[in-house]
Order: sequence, then structure tokens, then C-alpha cells
Amino acid sequence: MSRQPHQQQGTPANIDLADTNDPLNPKVAASALDFLLIELVPLAQRITEQLLAREQVLLDEYRRSRIFGRRGSKTARKDKVQGEEGGAAEDGGGKAEEGKEEGEGREGEGEKRKEGGGKAETGSVMTSIGFPVMGEGVREGVLARLDGMGYRVGQGLAERFTLNTPRPTNPLEAIKFICKDLWLLVFRKQIDNLKTNHRGIFVLTDTRFQPISRMSIDRRAGPKAAEEAMARAVTYLYFPCGVIRGALMGLGVEATVEASASELPIATFQIKTKGAKP
Amino acid sequence: MDSRAPSIAAIGVLGRHNNPLHISLFPSTTLDPATAQPVPQEHRDKLDYAFKLNSCLDIFEARMPSKSIGHDFGLLHALDERIAMYGWLLNTGVKLVIVVDMEGAPVKAGSAAATGLGLRGGDLTPAFQALQTAYIRLLRNPFYVPDEHDPKLAVDRKGSLQIMSPRFTKEVERIGKAWYPGIPAI
Repeated sequence: MSRQPHQQQGTPANIDLADTNDPLNPKVAASALDFLLIELVPLAQRITEQLLAREQVLLDEYRRSRIFGRRGSKTARKDKVQGEEGGAAEDGGGKAEEGKEEGEGREGEGEKRKEGGGKAETGSVMTSIGFPVMGEGVREGVLARLDGMGYRVGQGLAERFTLNTPRPTNPLEAIKFICKDLWLLVFRKQIDNLKTNHRGIFVLTDTRFQPISRMSIDRRAGPKAAEEAMARAVTYLYFPCGVIRGALMGLGVEATVEASASELPIATFQIKTKGAKP
Repeated sequence: MDSRAPSIAAIGVLGRHNNPLHISLFPSTTLDPATAQPVPQEHRDKLDYAFKLNSCLDIFEARMPSKSIGHDFGLLHALDERIAMYGWLLNTGVKLVIVVDMEGAPVKAGSAAATGLGLRGGDLTPAFQALQTAYIRLLRNPFYVPDEHDPKLAVDRKGSLQIMSPRFTKEVERIGKAWYPGIPAI
């Protein structure tokens, strides 16, 4: 990703550490970046689930203290300890145990669980390959989180990599920057197809979208597996959506971005600039 | 008496919606006769320079349509024979303004002081490039969220929308103090 030709040194001891800190010449390990982009999705899922779990514990605590008053305070303390233990079991494998422990803590109350119900599902429902399925409430949180992360990254990328290029005067030029320079930097290839209706709607098609290009479909599980795989693939598209949105905002174009994957590994991103007419 | 050389009087970073992100003021210096070291002489008034930076915004807007290539707006406005303002527009809409005081510093002994000729066009380019690098470095900091400093997007923010990062502030001050006409790179 260097701009000027950089002499490759033979042994690691000769690498100039000053280069890694130079904002004008950043270097990133390409495969590490790929893995990071793929790992972001489970990370966002874990974060969202844990935050929801903690919120649920606090909500329950509050409700109990309101309804039962003094009598409930003893049981509330006991359940709070259990809930805290559940929240402390942090590593990714602890998700299923969390769901169980908090389910026990709340069973004695007979209260309705909203996100709690969704969370108990995540502990027990797995896809055919063994990856926990997200409940509905969790899914929205995950997607919003990924989009937000991508947005901030996109803003920074737009600032840094339009350093010496002429200023984009209309949205089309900003989109061209995204298709060529930005995609090349993040995914090491350019966007394959750009369609526009010249009234503010752009459709970007990438025929071999990097993060989902090596996804497998478990054919033994029948036709439903393809849909499942598609649903899982879409979650990997939200971070790039955010990156596009952030880069556009950095260049002064307000837009909304939606992504879809009709078949693996083709990904399409639909960009609607503000005030566009279909 | 002793001839004077140009120095930077103020550096302003203005956001896309013309909101001030950062303003740094640099007092003019004279040589202390006893120690022969530069010593602050004339203090810059904050409000005065806030108004001056504000007046540059109109010039940016007026010249924006005709300046399609490049981001160097050069000399924006010469206020009087002492104060001149130069500006750069970054691709994201952030404006960098440097106010130069033509008699702001004592002439250094060894520098080729072209007094009376004023500043050449490219004299401020190293300073602007260093400012741009400092701003990019600020954006690499994930704790700096540009939307929080934007008056249109940060609706529930109370208080100042200015940049608080100490590293950025120190870097801007270093640039302002280190610059002299003809400096190759800061």
C-alpha cells in the first residue's frame, strides 16, 4: 500500500520502524486485514449479545425491586450474583452457558422475557455448521454496530487517501474514487460494475467479494442451507456498507447504502444519494 | 532598527460547516538584547483573530467554483501591509488557514532574508503539508470521531466542538513556531 517505491529489506531486523508510523506511507499485512474483516462479524455479535445480557439483568433487577419491594430484595441479591457470574463468563464459548444461567436466575419469577427469550435461543440453536444463530434483537444491534464501525473507518480512509488527488466535484467522481481507489486499498481489487440512473442512484457490483468468496455451503443440509448461507453472508456486507457511507460523507456526499448478495460470491451495493429520484 | 522577517501569527483549522475546529495564536517575537533569544513581544488578541479567520470563509466560498483542481488557495487576503492570510482546502471540506505577520520575528542571523519582497507562493507549502499530515494523524486516532465535532451531526453535544487532542495541538504549535520563509520541510 506504499505510494513511493519502497526497497524491500531482506531480514526483519532491517525494517525501518519509522515507516510503520508514517501517516503518509502506512503498511498493513494484507492477510491480517482479510482475517480482521471476517472476524469483525462474530466480534460484533459477541459484543451485542453481552451488552444485551447485561442490560437485561439490570432491567430485571429494577423490575423486581419495584414490584416486590422489601421482600424481593433478598432474592434480588441472589439472582444478581448469578447474573454477574453469567456476565463474567466472557469468552466466545461462554455464550451458551450464559443463556442457561440467566434463564435459571429468572425462572422463579415467571416474568416475560423479551431479549431474554431471544438469548436463550442463541444458546441452543445452531446452524448446520455449528455457528450460533442470532436472534432478531441481537441481529439489529450487530448490523448497526458493524455499520457504525465501517462509517468511522470510511471517514478516516477518505481523508488519508485523497491526499493528492483533485477534489471530487460531483457525486459521480466520489463514487469513482470508491470504486477504484478505496476498493483497491481495502479489498485489493476494483469494483467490477458500476451502474447509475444519473439521478442519484448507483449500483456497485463486485463479482468476487473477498470476505464471502471462500464461504462454503453445506450441501447435505438441503436447499435451506443455501438460504442460511446467504443470510450469514449478508452480515459480512455491512462493514463495507459503512465504509462506503463514511467515505462518501467524508467527501461531502450524503447517502444511504444497502447491500445484498443474490448468489455467493457476488455482492451488490446500492447507493442512494440524498434527494435521489428512482 | 533591526529588520524583521515574516512569521506565522495564527493557524486556524475550520471544519466543513465553517465551524472552528482549532485556533492557535503565536505572539510576535523580538530578540532579547541581553540573551539574544527570541522573546514574545506583541500578544495576539483571540477575538480579533477569530474575526479575521471568519472573514476568510467568504473568500473560500467565493473562489470555490473556479478552483476545481488542487487545494492550494494561495493568498486569500492581505489585510494590511503586515497581516496576510493563506489558505488550503482539503478534500473533505476542512479548511486550513495560516495568518502571516510580515514583521513578526527578528531576522535570523544566517537566513537569506528577502525583506521587502514578501512571501513567494511556495513558501507556506511545507507548513500546510505538515498541518495536513497532523490532521490525518488525528483522524487515525479512533477516539477522535469527526461527527462529534460537526455542528449539523452532533445535535446532542453540549459545549465546545473544538479539537481537544493534545498531540494535535502540540503539533500545530510546533509548526507555527518552527516556520520561517524558505524552510524546506517542517
